Amino acid sequence: MATRAEAQAIPGILPGKVGVWWFLASEVMLFGGLIASYVVFRLGSAGWSTESAHLSVPIAAVNTLVLLTSSLTMVQAFAAVEGGDQPRLRMHLGLTILLGLTFLGIKAFEYTFEIRAGFTPGAGIFWSFYYTMTGLHALHVLAGIVVNTLLFVRAGRGTRNWHQVELAGLYWHLVDIVWIFLFPLLYLT
Amino acid sequence: MASHGGRPNYVAVWAWLVALVILGLAVSFLPGARSMAVALIFATAVAKALLVALNYMHLRSESRLIYAIAIVPVLFVLGLTVALFPDFVFHR
Repeated sequence: MATRAEAQAIPGILPGKVGVWWFLASEVMLFGGLIASYVVFRLGSAGWSTESAHLSVPIAAVNTLVLLTSSLTMVQAFAAVEGGDQPRLRMHLGLTILLGLTFLGIKAFEYTFEIRAGFTPGAGIFWSFYYTMTGLHALHVLAGIVVNTLLFVRAGRGTRNWHQVELAGLYWHLVDIVWIFLFPLLYLT
Repeated sequence: MASHGGRPNYVAVWAWLVALVILGLAVSFLPGARSMAVALIFATAVAKALLVALNYMHLRSESRLIYAIAIVPVLFVLGLTVALFPDFVFHR
């Protein structure tokens, strides 16, 4: 006799949303641990602002605006889902993917420029933190782009994956929030 | 933010986010007390994070369970940071 595993749904909460939030909580601890380490190391020693002065604030500021705009397009994709507007969903998912790729492209340009100037991950404790934090963040952006691309393809086939757009959006907004803190921590102080 | 059918005005939120980025940049270039500038810069970062979390992640309209899952790790991170101060910042 075949049996099917069942789980009681939590009333009023979209299936999977609690699971995604638990995952986001673990991501907060991951980046929060790195950020906490960076803050206490930096406050406890000298010379960090001399190193961070070599970073390009204008490039990072543009990247910040790119990522913030991608959050807008992602939530607009969710709004399109709520309105049952498939073409608008695809358009905004497509824009989010493009903006994410733009962010990674700018980051790659920045890394190339810095490494050529001799600021490699082994150049000092600041640079170790910089490449670890921004590199891990960039990997998360890449993962988000992959997920969004899958949703974009499925939306094109007419597959009804409405709630997955909201769940993917939650992840994408968290990645944006992480950068909201990394930008001032590394570039502005 | 004005809401449309119960949802926030996402473009208005984006405009505020851009304004806060510009404000943070402007503060970082201003001469004067560095500690005040750093405090202001992080205040704008917290404001931006709250705008994204409350409006784009819809925390404003979520249940208490999800609110708790979102808030508790943030408190853990803050506690972790402060708990490390005696070893790394106040060391003799």
